[in-house]
Amino acid sequence: MKHIKTLVTRNLKESMKKGGCGECQTSCQSACKTSCTVGNQRCEKAK
Amino acid sequence: MIHRYKNNGYNIVLDVNSGSVHVVDELVYRILPFVEDLMKEGRKDAGAVKEAVLDRIHSAWAGEEPVNAADEEISEAVEEILELEAEGLLFAPDIYENYVYDFKKRRTVVKALCLHIAHDCNLACKYCFAEEGEYHGRRALMSFEVGKKALDFLVANSGNRVNLEVDFFGGEPLMNWDVVKRLVEYGRSLEPAYNKKFRFTLTTNGVLLNEEILEFANKEMSNLVLSIDGRKQIHDRMRPFRGGQGSYDLIVPKFQRAAESREQLNYYVRGTFTRNNLDFSEDVLHLADLGFKQISVEPVVAPPEADYSIREEDLPKLKEEYDKLAAEMLRRKREGNGFQFFHFMIDLEGGPCVAKRLSGCGSGTEYLAVTPWGDLYPCHQFVGNEKFLMGNVEEGILREDIRDQFKCCNVYAKEKCRDCFARFYCSGGCAANAYNFHGDVNATYDVGCELERKRVECAIMLKAAEM
Repeated sequence: MKHIKTLVTRNLKESMKKGGCGECQTSCQSACKTSCTVGNQRCEKAK
Repeated sequence: MIHRYKNNGYNIVLDVNSGSVHVVDELVYRILPFVEDLMKEGRKDAGAVKEAVLDRIHSAWAGEEPVNAADEEISEAVEEILELEAEGLLFAPDIYENYVYDFKKRRTVVKALCLHIAHDCNLACKYCFAEEGEYHGRRALMSFEVGKKALDFLVANSGNRVNLEVDFFGGEPLMNWDVVKRLVEYGRSLEPAYNKKFRFTLTTNGVLLNEEILEFANKEMSNLVLSIDGRKQIHDRMRPFRGGQGSYDLIVPKFQRAAESREQLNYYVRGTFTRNNLDFSEDVLHLADLGFKQISVEPVVAPPEADYSIREEDLPKLKEEYDKLAAEMLRRKREGNGFQFFHFMIDLEGGPCVAKRLSGCGSGTEYLAVTPWGDLYPCHQFVGNEKFLMGNVEEGILREDIRDQFKCCNVYAKEKCRDCFARFYCSGGCAANAYNFHGDVNATYDVGCELERKRVECAIMLKAAEM
């Protein structure tokens, strides 16, 4: 495309199909403890 | 829903519901709102959309600086937009609400515990939620027996989850190090029989950190969180010993050694910024200059009456600081001297599924805090608030109503999240902050939200810059 460049991202709609296993890290167990930060949690299935 | 913004020279478009990110030229940036309006009106025929855009643009641009583009080029840009729309990468609808409610209705399991291994501390940090380590006069160390019961409780209530997380938290966990070691050993002994894998985290102020502890931590702890606020004068002001002297000089060499011994991975130096250092980007860069590669510096959460609390009037300065930090991080990365800043880390390709993104942090359901004497609370921030005492490690959850209240926490339960572009990145924010400021775990903490939105914008910009 000439006007738009699209970054490779995980399709959220697709993630409904096999998501929700709950094996990924709880957000507060990373570093935050005060802010809820989930965008950087890695999907266990994507590892 | 799309979110358009400019940052560091990039025109960025986030398609909120698909999670797609686009970097666009000025022309597309300007015409996107028109196309979005037309989509909402249900006009999707390419020819009609093009015509309408041309029509509206010529009139709407009258009061604005015009974009120099021929009609042909505008048509071409509209075609690209419509192509992405057809692929579900622009203007994607929000189809998740019922899915998330169904997801949250599932039987919950417990998969993570924050063990308050020591309600005691050798520092007297000014912003400590445990009242400068005094814990409302009730200092205590967790016994091995209580910790053992906590791990048994976790295993028994974790269903078929394999990965279990345990954070040794405090106070200062190294004041009860022997119990930490014994609990790790006990946890490991449970793994084969129950098909579980413990991931331990140690959060420490570093005062008692030594080689023996580091060796054990490097073998057993998936993550180390090392508390340091940044520049010496900033750190020492908020994190003194009880006698008032600063702790910076003692801990910095220990933390540098710890980071190197972990090959600069699987740890964070973790600081808190307050109203005393609104120029916190200087603290982040100071930590980077000390050689740390994994850095997290976060805004203090404090009652509004505290003189160091972040206020609404501080937001413009703080947002400017995030922008400044992002630009400097990019510059350093390009020079081969990059580092990670926790709040700018975003995993666009392998990030969490939509269920995780929308269903909240898990406090009160899959994540619980355990006091030294074995009481259970929804998370470490609620410890000591008797209204939220949920049960204990001996008898389990006794207040299912509290658990059910937290079970309902998700972005659709929070009115302000519905229109927020960042809802897929913060999961609705911190329930404890919401409660502390508004008395309701389903409220939102506006100052925190403003900062979160800015961080998400910066994080996405950094990804766009990698293209």
